[in-house]
Amino acid sequence: MGNSISKALGKLFGSKEMKILMLGLDKAGKTTILYKLKLNKIKTATPTVGFNVETVTYKNVKFNMWDVGGQQRLRPLWRHYFPATTALIFVVDSSTEGRMQEAKEELYSIIGEKEMENVVLLVWANKQDLKDAMKPQEVSNFLELKQNLKNQPWCVIGSNALSGQGLVEGLSWISSNSDVPRK
Amino acid sequence: MQNDQQRLSLHNRAVFTHPYKRLGGAFPVKSPSVPNFHDRVHPGHSSSDPALVNDDSILSDHPTVERSCLGQVSPSEHDGNLSVIDLYGDEVESQRVDDDDDDDEDDDDDDDQDATHSDDLDLLPGEGGQHIELDDVTAGTSKSASADGVNKTHFDRYGFKKQNNYISESEYDRWWGDYSQYCVRRKHKWQLLLEKSGLPVTDDSPARFPSKSERLKRYVRKGIPAEWRGNAWWHFARGQEKLNKNKGIYSQLLQKMKQIKKQNPNEKQVQDLDIIERDLNRTFPDNVHFQSASYNKEEPPIIKSLRRVLVAFSLYNPKIGYCQSMNFLAGLLLLFLDEERAFWMLVIITSRYLPGVHNINLEGVNIDQGVLMLCVKEYIPEVWSYIKPSIDHHQQNNKTFSPSNNKVLFNMQKNEFLYRLPPITLCTASWFMSCFVGIVPIETTLRIWDCLFYEESHFLFKTSLAVLKLSEHELSKTKPRSNSLNHSWTSNTNQRNGSMGQEDSDMEIFQVIQTFPKTLLNPNEIFEKIIFKRRFNLNRLDQDEIDRCRKFVAAQRLKFKTYGELLGSATSEAELTSANVNTDAKGTHITSDAVNEALSSEVYGFKKSLAGVHWNNSIKEKVKQMRKKKDRND
Repeated sequence: MGNSISKALGKLFGSKEMKILMLGLDKAGKTTILYKLKLNKIKTATPTVGFNVETVTYKNVKFNMWDVGGQQRLRPLWRHYFPATTALIFVVDSSTEGRMQEAKEELYSIIGEKEMENVVLLVWANKQDLKDAMKPQEVSNFLELKQNLKNQPWCVIGSNALSGQGLVEGLSWISSNSDVPRK
Repeated sequence: MQNDQQRLSLHNRAVFTHPYKRLGGAFPVKSPSVPNFHDRVHPGHSSSDPALVNDDSILSDHPTVERSCLGQVSPSEHDGNLSVIDLYGDEVESQRVDDDDDDDEDDDDDDDQDATHSDDLDLLPGEGGQHIELDDVTAGTSKSASADGVNKTHFDRYGFKKQNNYISESEYDRWWGDYSQYCVRRKHKWQLLLEKSGLPVTDDSPARFPSKSERLKRYVRKGIPAEWRGNAWWHFARGQEKLNKNKGIYSQLLQKMKQIKKQNPNEKQVQDLDIIERDLNRTFPDNVHFQSASYNKEEPPIIKSLRRVLVAFSLYNPKIGYCQSMNFLAGLLLLFLDEERAFWMLVIITSRYLPGVHNINLEGVNIDQGVLMLCVKEYIPEVWSYIKPSIDHHQQNNKTFSPSNNKVLFNMQKNEFLYRLPPITLCTASWFMSCFVGIVPIETTLRIWDCLFYEESHFLFKTSLAVLKLSEHELSKTKPRSNSLNHSWTSNTNQRNGSMGQEDSDMEIFQVIQTFPKTLLNPNEIFEKIIFKRRFNLNRLDQDEIDRCRKFVAAQRLKFKTYGELLGSATSEAELTSANVNTDAKGTHITSDAVNEALSSEVYGFKKSLAGVHWNNSIKEKVKQMRKKKDRND
């Protein structure tokens, strides 16, 4: 009961809560991003078996962020937790052009899921600090989001998990776009 | 009693003897270097990386010789216990340890017997802890720290960084002060046990261990001495048997691996190789043995071994190939065993202890999670109550099941969680896949592994239950489970945010289950609070129970799947996708009803404590069902 009152107050004063699913190929930098946002620390990178979940609060908005393990074959385990997602963040490693096609296929297979229909989509073109990294615009072109996504808000933002560049921008984009009325 | 000098040289030999040599060169394939904590940190580090050489942490991994050469530790200071200096820290005052060992032995046995009666939770790492004054430990630490000025080591005895997000270095050091003493006492007991059993402890590396007994089981549960672990695991898991049956296979696999790189491998092979490659440098990046020198691009030998073990495995068992988490299993094995033995241990873990868990179809993971959920429900219902409502929530989400239809819900609760696993299994699945590596702190992981190889897979379930039980206090602090009020009023505003109230408490529970295990620095927390306490029902769980339970869950899941398919794919589709709202509510109910009817009549019956008597829940359940049916017909 107390819970719902505080929720009601939160509503009045504009605090929001959203469930965010962070996906992407293995070694794209999802976990590093999560802990940079949460602790402002760089966690040494290890493959995520299972997932990490953390709450990140930014400007009155509580983001419940689910960072789901990268290896594709493990995806079916977590699939049933897709429902009730406010936004999907897809992280790509912009420095590995060779894996872009794989990332694209993965992205389209995820947003093709029923549960993901019309969900707000943010793409973090990560690892912008690396020399050969594709620019956010190039990533966006490659993924052909403009051509393919008609019914949902989407955005590609360049990011660098080590410095934190682009992370806050991403979250504020999500929070300002997730209330867009749905069809 | 040997004299000190002899002991010192003996010990030095032990420290520097390569694992292969100890085994008389029995293995055809040799890794160039197996950096385990017996060995000097591989040359790549100590010779060429000034940063690491200056860092005393490296030396401390293996300080015996360095220190004694430098005259910091004179042999006489350590009479009687030289062999443990490096692994247990210089601070150990061996004289005192000798003193308290004999009576400790008695305490020990009593402690186990008393476990049932004593409700006081003795958290001290060792029962004999009181004999050693804390002052000695701290004094010892500061002494060695001041001795060479910068002897503050940031890494533990296996080369892992002590500090992480959940444990600070000072916390670690404080705990280690006690725990290292405990380890010394335990090792002394092991030495006595082996002596009594007439087994040699050559070079501080016994290859044979006493045959299984309640006493030995207790010893294993209290921890195998760190430097014996490799051999002990190998022995208890019957590794040699496996190797003897497969002589030469590992080198053949390595040959094949070379050829594959030249020829055109098939797509799946390429995929596995790629993923392995990406994970190699992400395996234990906080461990000095796995780090390559910063300016020197050369790979540390253990990474090369890791690659070979993982690639060889993916060729050996294409059904599994490579699955993330195996890098952690193999990585930890390589810290304690040479390459070929590590490979066979990986084979044993993935087939005997975790059958199917790493398979591509993931059915093994799901079965084990179903089994775990059954066990939670049976043995720690108080924890089940935190997990259970999430299932209801999911059903509410899946609007094909109307909450008003209580019978369906009731039936669903009976069995559906075996098929559609509660979300918490998202957390616990990784406990099994990686056998707790990275889930709990390293010393705790190793204690679990000791028991896993001695007691087989049911120990993983027992540990999971123990961890969940320990987390109960934290769970109780989470927000109360959501109520329908919460649910309905938010759902008006936004369909996707509809279950936020539930989501909120789910989130907190997830975070507890995710974070709590990482704080279990002291392994005895699990053992002395839970595993050694007979009053906890979960200690009744044995291997036989797990084997039966696995069969039951596997069959149930298969049936559920087949029924689903039989009764029309449309229905199961609708059940699985929450977005699909009530198009044909009635039809769905009938079919899901039928499925549940068929399934819920079979309920797993756990053995109860009275030996030989099976309290069969399934019979009770069947009677209930029959009565209900009768009522309905009337």
